[in-house]
Amino acid sequence: MTIAPELSDRVLTELADAIGGEHVLTSKTARYNRARVPAPFPVHRWPERVPDLVVLPGSTEEVAEVVRIANAHRIPIVPRDGGTGLTDGAVPEHRGIVVDVKRLNQIKEIDLENRTCTVGTGINALKLNEVLAEHGLIYPDDPASYPCSLVGGRIGTSGWSLVGSRYGHSRDLVLSFEFVLPTGKVIHLGDGGGRKISKSSSGYQLKHLFMGHQGTLGIATEATLKLFPKPEAELSPFWAFPDYDSAYRCVGQLARAGIATFAGAVLFDEWKVDYLRRDDEAYIPQPADVRALVCAVAYGYEDEVRAGGKRLLRIAKDCGARYLGDEISQGDWAARHDRYATPLHGRTRSGQVAPMSWHCEDAAINYTELPGVRLEWHAIVERLRARFDVFDDWGMFCYTSANTGVDYLTEIDIGIWEQELGDEAWAAWVDAKREIAAVALRAGGSISACHGSCREGEVDLVPLELGGGYDVMLDVKRAVDPNNIMNPGKYGLQRAYAAERGAGA
Amino acid sequence: MTEAPDHHHSPVTVEFLSDWRNASYNCFSSGHKFCREVCPVMQVTRNESWTPTAFHANVVAMEKGELTVEDVAEDYVNCTQCGACELRCPNTLFTGDFYRFRTRTVDLVKQMRALAVDNGVHQPGYQRWNQLTDERTHEPVLGEVPVSQEHVRDWSAGLDIPIGGETILFVDCEAAFYRTSVPRAVAQILQRAGVEFGLMREQWCCGGPAAEMGYRDQAKRFAEHNLADWRASGVKRVLVLDPHDYITFTEDYPAYFGEDYEIEVVLVVELLAKLITEGKLTPEIPIERTITYHDPCRLNKRKGVWQEPRQILRSIPGLTFNDVDRVTQWSYCSGGGGGLPVEKPELTAKISENRLAKAAELEVDTLVSACPWSERPLSAAGEAHRIDVVDIHELLAESLGIEVGGSRGA
Repeated sequence: MTIAPELSDRVLTELADAIGGEHVLTSKTARYNRARVPAPFPVHRWPERVPDLVVLPGSTEEVAEVVRIANAHRIPIVPRDGGTGLTDGAVPEHRGIVVDVKRLNQIKEIDLENRTCTVGTGINALKLNEVLAEHGLIYPDDPASYPCSLVGGRIGTSGWSLVGSRYGHSRDLVLSFEFVLPTGKVIHLGDGGGRKISKSSSGYQLKHLFMGHQGTLGIATEATLKLFPKPEAELSPFWAFPDYDSAYRCVGQLARAGIATFAGAVLFDEWKVDYLRRDDEAYIPQPADVRALVCAVAYGYEDEVRAGGKRLLRIAKDCGARYLGDEISQGDWAARHDRYATPLHGRTRSGQVAPMSWHCEDAAINYTELPGVRLEWHAIVERLRARFDVFDDWGMFCYTSANTGVDYLTEIDIGIWEQELGDEAWAAWVDAKREIAAVALRAGGSISACHGSCREGEVDLVPLELGGGYDVMLDVKRAVDPNNIMNPGKYGLQRAYAAERGAGA
Repeated sequence: MTEAPDHHHSPVTVEFLSDWRNASYNCFSSGHKFCREVCPVMQVTRNESWTPTAFHANVVAMEKGELTVEDVAEDYVNCTQCGACELRCPNTLFTGDFYRFRTRTVDLVKQMRALAVDNGVHQPGYQRWNQLTDERTHEPVLGEVPVSQEHVRDWSAGLDIPIGGETILFVDCEAAFYRTSVPRAVAQILQRAGVEFGLMREQWCCGGPAAEMGYRDQAKRFAEHNLADWRASGVKRVLVLDPHDYITFTEDYPAYFGEDYEIEVVLVVELLAKLITEGKLTPEIPIERTITYHDPCRLNKRKGVWQEPRQILRSIPGLTFNDVDRVTQWSYCSGGGGGLPVEKPELTAKISENRLAKAAELEVDTLVSACPWSERPLSAAGEAHRIDVVDIHELLAESLGIEVGGSRGA
């Protein structure tokens, strides 16, 4: 465990010389606001996560210089991009320096012939797409946080995209990136050594290793991205079902159909429909006999979306679906996708409305295991609710992760009344998260399809999930970050520095 | 290793925290910071401490005793109160929550600034600006050159506008003393259309800027003076050409005076669009310019007024109008509002530079605005692009064949 020394005037002077004094922030508000991510982390322990200072570098070289200084003085560093992640990657566990890369938001190149663009990692995809639209292009990395997450965060978390079944996820869309290692050395990572190569068989496949590490291996500063023609047409049919089982059958059929324009399907279970009906003003009310919903989305040229859409509608009809009509379909897709509505309130057991924050536990689960996992998860939350009246079950979504329906991003959404959250309820919550992750592993799944698995609770099971692979993680961490300065404490990687650990142990 | 909490908030702070508690948690706990990339200050600083989210999160930290008003006050300078964040907030995008909740970041910023003042925490620029305003009854828009009551009507020289009457034209400080071509254009267009109006008997600053910067008592005192003067001289209707005044008279004054506030407030741009539709004004002289229109934040984002200015521009012959839709313009701003230029002129300049870069992409020679407060920073930024910044009223007057006169500032 590296313990940060008091930040001496000397360190502050070195940092100010490296990036300019106005980009070294020491105020309490600057530090408190760099300790927060989507709640809860838990809020009543906010002060434990506050960094010593914040830097806002303006270039790859400035990032590298900051890292070199921190490494020389053994000061922990936490990279921060949008701070919208759901596994607390950007939250300091051991104070130190937050390296906030939001100033790295330039578009450096748009290559129309090779269909790529090169950007600073502090850029937001919506802002990028405003520029790409003028060229008829789109960068289709589409998380729920699309209007505010940044490209660097998508690399650091290996993000999941709502339309990934058609266009791929961050790992497929990011071709290569500049990367500052924990020693301050700058390297280029991609498939092979080129900037704009999507498939290489040369050497180790390092790109995947340096994505999704939650800031424990270094900081991405510039990325080259794969672009697509901006789709002409969007189809987002919503279908209603009288029960979960028929909705579940339908989603499987849609995903397995192999329609080229298919970008994803979403399954809403009964708890989710109940919750939307009860508390979400953006939800278009349905008759009481609607118990579960499915939506599918297709993108592409109008002629191919029309043809694929006909097939999707036929498949759904054969599964007993009732099409909800164009208006509801477009409106609900706008609510779920463009706004990613979360009402920010929930209910206590007695039905009392309370301001609650949205918390989402996700996992990657195979299609065949979805029904079982679902019931176990709801039961876990039910037990939690029975003990503490600050939790609410907001139901479950399942989203296709790929174009064949092999596995799904499965999430259970839980409301937490943070204003009333104390240590005891928090500990019970952490236990519940551990249980939720254990269910996913027993079902042969992965703890997270989307967010990462760094938070208290599920993080304990990462060695169990990865097995011998986790030992390799420890070896890699120690090799790349000899002084454990990069986001120390995440993923239990401090174990890499335990005295008794030999290489390959 | 935690920092010692400070639980010693003053009573006024405790009351503030209880008012803003739930709204702040609602923002704090949402991961979807859709507000961030439309915020004009965020766009030029990329500093997360100065985002709508941070403005709410600070309240949560204050409630927990982690931060004090002294810790946070200075951050709240970095806001133009343009309202983009509210439009983009997931809580506002639909019709508001079922318990009638709506994100009110602009109000939060105003009230936090007021809380700072109430706790004796002042920003030096704000303090001086409002002190000078108080001494002179007008904002010190000419810097060291004093403004005063006896000169507040100088802009109207030679236009023979009476004093008083049922309808008066209220001219904001920036237009009355700095960009005098705007009120001259407005007055002459109204005369051309046969609209009867006078000038206010003893016009003071509307008080809006004081309210925006946290000087609540002064703001209210100015409002009381103006309302008393209107009532004493039988004013029933106030015409305003400045979006900031429009907000002050339609939002602040009703909050001060409640049910008793009987004054009808008319936005000149809306009135002129109506007069054109009715055929009472017909712009005929072609103006050979290639323009785009800058939606003033307070019209577009805060009041939903975006159609009438475009209607006016489309009625002017000769113009090539490269328009940008109002939703795209949610993320545009001049940086001239909310007291930002008083404390952070360099940020105002950067925000205006951003705006002019967007205009330059459209290959225009003219950027048309409808807000005197935006025109000074926009004009400064326009020089590098050789883009002229013109007020919509100036342009309309020209097409009506009016010799406007007055000064366009610098």
